[in-house]
Amino acid sequence: MTNRRQFLQISMTATAWPFASSAVRAAAQIPATEPLALYKVIYDRRFGASVAFAERAAALGLGVHAIEGDMTRFWYDELYHEWKKGPVAIAGLTAHGAMFCFEQLARDQSMRVVFRAEHKFGAAGVEHALTGPLTMLRDGLALNDRGAEWAACMADVVAHCPQGRAEISHAAAASATVARDAQVDAESLYSWVIAPAVKA
Amino acid sequence: MSVPPGISERVFSQAIGQFERAVGREWVFTSDEDVALYSDAYTPLWNEAEAKTASAAVAPASAEEVQAVMRVANEHGIPMYPISTGRNLGYGGSAPVLSGSVVLDLKRMNRILEVDERNAYALVEPGVSYFDLYRHIQDNGLKLWIDCPDPGWGSVIGNALDHGAGFTANPYRDHFDAHCGMEIVLANGDLVRLGMGALPNAKTWQQYKYGYGPYLDGIFSQSNFGVVTKMGFWLMPEPEAYLEGTVNVPGHDDVIPLIDIMSYLMNSAIQNAGTMLSSPVRFAAAQDPQLRTMLTRADDEAKQALNRFAAERGIPFWSNILKFYGPEEVIKAQWAYAQRRLGKIPGAQFVDGPTYRFPLTPEQIATVRDEGDFGIPTLSIFSIGARSAFNPTPTTGHLWFSPVIPMSGEAVIESQRVLAGVLQELGRDTSIAVFPQSYHQRTFVILVGFPVLHDVDANRQVRDVFRRLIDVAGEHGWGEYRTHTAFMDDCARVYSYNDHALLRLQETLKDAIDPKGILSAGRYGIWPRQLRRNRA
Repeated sequence: MTNRRQFLQISMTATAWPFASSAVRAAAQIPATEPLALYKVIYDRRFGASVAFAERAAALGLGVHAIEGDMTRFWYDELYHEWKKGPVAIAGLTAHGAMFCFEQLARDQSMRVVFRAEHKFGAAGVEHALTGPLTMLRDGLALNDRGAEWAACMADVVAHCPQGRAEISHAAAASATVARDAQVDAESLYSWVIAPAVKA
Repeated sequence: MSVPPGISERVFSQAIGQFERAVGREWVFTSDEDVALYSDAYTPLWNEAEAKTASAAVAPASAEEVQAVMRVANEHGIPMYPISTGRNLGYGGSAPVLSGSVVLDLKRMNRILEVDERNAYALVEPGVSYFDLYRHIQDNGLKLWIDCPDPGWGSVIGNALDHGAGFTANPYRDHFDAHCGMEIVLANGDLVRLGMGALPNAKTWQQYKYGYGPYLDGIFSQSNFGVVTKMGFWLMPEPEAYLEGTVNVPGHDDVIPLIDIMSYLMNSAIQNAGTMLSSPVRFAAAQDPQLRTMLTRADDEAKQALNRFAAERGIPFWSNILKFYGPEEVIKAQWAYAQRRLGKIPGAQFVDGPTYRFPLTPEQIATVRDEGDFGIPTLSIFSIGARSAFNPTPTTGHLWFSPVIPMSGEAVIESQRVLAGVLQELGRDTSIAVFPQSYHQRTFVILVGFPVLHDVDANRQVRDVFRRLIDVAGEHGWGEYRTHTAFMDDCARVYSYNDHALLRLQETLKDAIDPKGILSAGRYGIWPRQLRRNRA
């Protein structure tokens, strides 16, 4: 636990654990689909993890956009106009406030948060609570091995958000970080993907 | 699909089918996934049986479609809950007061029907947000300002109907006060225009408020008597300049002459905007464990201790920012006059703030203290909720307890003593929790913020404290100006003069104007006859 903490906790509910656990494992059998096209990946310059997330996203060929807490200008000057043309998907690793605002505004475009992960900082590292398509949760298991590189790992996860309607489940993971990287009591961060709603 | 209370599945299915014919199938929402979006993101009833939920939602695109929907609802007795954009977070969001109601979502009615630069007014539909109106004005190069609340993503109409307020000049910052003309769809589907709008081919609907005969606009705010489908607003012509200055006074009791003079300046239109009162010493003392306790007391010992603390550190006890809008030479003269009047308070000091000429450049906008002072909508408030010494547990939302008190120093001191006393008695932090805001002319609103969490027990405690504050404030003659849907009955209950004569009148109106009681049951404590509870 003091170095690399490796375990998986499926945390939908206590009684749902066996089902969800096997469901995430079974996701290994789900064939890969074309990933969702992301218009932009938003990151918050105030947080090192968010910057690392954006660097990896850029390396993957995704367009990135920086904010500093407030997402108003990006939405008002750019995203508003894109969403007027049509519902384009976005992703990010930000504080809760920015994610909440994007989520609320996206509803008016018939878009939803289709993947969300809370990253909670503690003395031993970062705990991740993930909700989203099973294939993304499967990819998210890699967080257990990536230690301080968890944020870059999240960029890989959101970059492979599947298109269309997917079964949504919940999972948890943890990334141990060395002491100097730990941000005990820091604000939780969130990785997220917002995409057009797909009716059942 | 859930069903409204008292409605059979057969009747509800029939009504849903008729709603679909009225607005189009794609604009009627019945799946759990869609209906869940009409929840209260800041609910203090999280994970409790009492949490407010809708049964379905209908989104008309025009007043005619609203009429058609209301005729169907009236025929079948379906409870409806109109929302404009549903973003009044902290006050209930888009969740209905009566669970099981069908949300009448007016977001698609987002047309800016007219903006007149010469006469400085706008006519809008309920789905128009402050951002929408601001963008329209900017895109068209109009020399007009909006006045917006913080955050600015809500509905212009919705905020005004809830008596919301902003931060620019009088009378624009009181959003209901700044309205002129309304169009209403009644519960039976009838369409009514108020004021001069009742005149076919009216030429002054957005310029003369009263029309002819009784002035009815007020009964459609904070009520459930009709669905507002259009509303006019007076806009502020872009001023030439803005100037702000700060006055600091050193002692606890200096707040009395400070507010007396501020009131004079505001009531004389010398200061033509709200005041921004703060107490630097209270904020500093809140961080000192020993002095924190003094903040809940109003006795001489506490006052002297805080005065000494302020003097030793050179921190003003009270600080007030004055804002002026207008021609530069005029506002400079107003600030000079304000300093002359306020200079009579011993030890008063003045700090010149920035002066801006308009329009602002993007670089200036990025550095202003508060975009709201310039009628620029923003969502930046959502980026300041991070964990801090004062906010050890970032919350999932908040509530505001917000009684109205007189604009006097005595009332500020008294309300802080009384309300902080209640908070202390119930084990809540009182250090920076009770503070007056100048939202409306001639009064302060005391804002006491409460966190809401994903924690049932913590939320129950908050609700208990909130209700206790409502009662105690009511005993002192301070009533809420607005409240979360979870407390609407509680707040209405304290307006009890002459054995609740006001509520009886409101119920008489409700029974007459919406006899089947289908519109927004329970909103602001007004229930339809069939759901009326026994009052004490």
